[in-house]
Amino acid sequence: MKNQRIRNVVKSLKVAVFLAYKGIVRANIGVTLLTIFILILVALNLMFVPGLINGIVASANDKLINTYSSHLVIEAQGIKDQGYKITHVKNLMTAIQSINGVEAVTARNAVGTNISFKDKSNDDRKINCMTYGIMPEQEMKVFEVSDWLVEGSYLDDRDRDKILLGIQLAGTDQTNVELYSHSLRHVHAGDKVTITYNSGYVKQYTVKGIFRTGFIQTDLQAFITQLEYESIIPGTHDTATELHVRLDKDADPLEIMRRIAMFNSDVDFQTWQENAGIVNSMTTSFQLINGILDVVNALVAGITIFIITYVDVINKRRQIGIQRAIGIKNNAIIFAYLLRALCYVIVGLVVARLLFRFAIVPFEASHPFYFPFGAVYLALEIPLLVRTTVLLVIVSLVAAFIPVMLITRIKILDAIWG
Amino acid sequence: MLEIHNLTKIYRTGSVEFRALDDVSFTVPTGDMVCIMGKSGSGKSTLLRQLGLLDRPTSGEIILDDISVAKLSDDITSTLRLERLGYIFQEYALLAELTAHENVFLPGMMLSNEGIDYEKRAKDLLEMVGLKEKMHHYPKELSGGQQQRVAIARALINNPQVIFADEACANLDTISSKLVMDTLVNLNKDMKVTIVFVSHDPDDKQYARNLVVLSDGKLMPDEQL
Repeated sequence: MKNQRIRNVVKSLKVAVFLAYKGIVRANIGVTLLTIFILILVALNLMFVPGLINGIVASANDKLINTYSSHLVIEAQGIKDQGYKITHVKNLMTAIQSINGVEAVTARNAVGTNISFKDKSNDDRKINCMTYGIMPEQEMKVFEVSDWLVEGSYLDDRDRDKILLGIQLAGTDQTNVELYSHSLRHVHAGDKVTITYNSGYVKQYTVKGIFRTGFIQTDLQAFITQLEYESIIPGTHDTATELHVRLDKDADPLEIMRRIAMFNSDVDFQTWQENAGIVNSMTTSFQLINGILDVVNALVAGITIFIITYVDVINKRRQIGIQRAIGIKNNAIIFAYLLRALCYVIVGLVVARLLFRFAIVPFEASHPFYFPFGAVYLALEIPLLVRTTVLLVIVSLVAAFIPVMLITRIKILDAIWG
Repeated sequence: MLEIHNLTKIYRTGSVEFRALDDVSFTVPTGDMVCIMGKSGSGKSTLLRQLGLLDRPTSGEIILDDISVAKLSDDITSTLRLERLGYIFQEYALLAELTAHENVFLPGMMLSNEGIDYEKRAKDLLEMVGLKEKMHHYPKELSGGQQQRVAIARALINNPQVIFADEACANLDTISSKLVMDTLVNLNKDMKVTIVFVSHDPDDKQYARNLVVLSDGKLMPDEQL
């Protein structure tokens, strides 16, 4: 009985494959091409928006890692404001650098400051910010801030009395800067600014350079050299408020954190993901938008395929009636239409994927979209591609199933003669 | 043996009721060749469709080899049509996307009889109806008579117990009609296939051994050849 049922299913499948094949090769070529063309557009639509959103998130994450947090941030345990610092930094950096998977490490000392600037019209503007004492040479191995200078030059390890400002602080007469109205507005490289440290110490600095990474949190930072920092805040030699570690592409952050903890157990770790507050909330919003667009796109795809199949089935209503009259089982007829729909959707997906990969992505790469944090390139990852494929296949099958199922439910005579 | 007991078919459109078949009863012995005749609208085709299990009667019974088949599920009637019956439509009812051979072979693909090469049988049947050379032609490339002969070959692919032919020659010229009817007669004679055919042409009586005459859905009594 069971074997008989399996044999019947196999026969139905065989008939379905045969009918689907004949249906495709004998179909009106214009209708077939139009169907596939519509499916290509639907598939491209399903790929483009998530690809763009993925690109935005990837670009924002890259900017976060390369200019703000690095892959791994190491901080002294305890409350930062109360002066907890990592000690024996040089030894620790040497040890960290020796770990397999670590590309570079740098140390920073953070301090709260107020920067003021008196412009040509004697208008005195002030802004509060975090100023970091950095090791410029090491810093360039971990971060790319030095690549984003819009004025002046980067710091040298032995620089004194010089400061590097983010554009959101300096303003630099760039009125399109997001926080321009809160900035010092007219500061340029070579100008003098006055810094008041949170200890009350006041000192004048020459602006050596101004950077604009496009990542607002980075562009709200100011940098002096570690040498300068130690001269302002005594007792901070060989200390740091934080270390930033750049990892190799395939490195395992958990393993590296475990190894670092063996050198110094009094530190806390933060991965770049934990540092990605604004990016995370942006990603969450984009995922929500993506989800909504997915539903809309799936509905559009479903309705399109439904209409195509419905028109096709209505035109073939008599043929379906004849097939049923000569004893072809309903499941074979339904399966034949599902196979046809599957075939069309696979062709649509493959062509769309090829177009996306070899035409749209290269074109967009040469004419990228620009966002505040830089150029965004379309990025379609495998899981997203799989999701798009599965979504479109399911929607197509459901959309094809409904009209065929409805036709196979009407009386044979009504199907043949209407 | 095909037995029909008190077969009634009523069509309802809103409150209007039309009795297409009214208490029809008769028997078709195995191997018989029966002609159903009657004026247009007398219920001939309606009767044949009930017997061919393409439609369900409102009441009454159809017994095929001691099995009541009128009220079986769609799936079982589909299997019965596939395995035990053959049906020839007035308008040939071939599948436009398939060649003559594929039209004949298609039901064979669904049949579960092991050891039968249905593909070859389809070729043999087309040869039998004189269409060996037209095997790979699509229906639109065939004349009406040729299409009807393909339909006959298709009806024979399952080696049916009964073939139902609904005005099989209505759309054909005289020569093609004779060819089709001769084919049915030969099937009945040589292969002992029971044939029930509908015709409005009084000349077709000559092909039948028994006659069923309908008028306004009712069986006319004591009609004989």
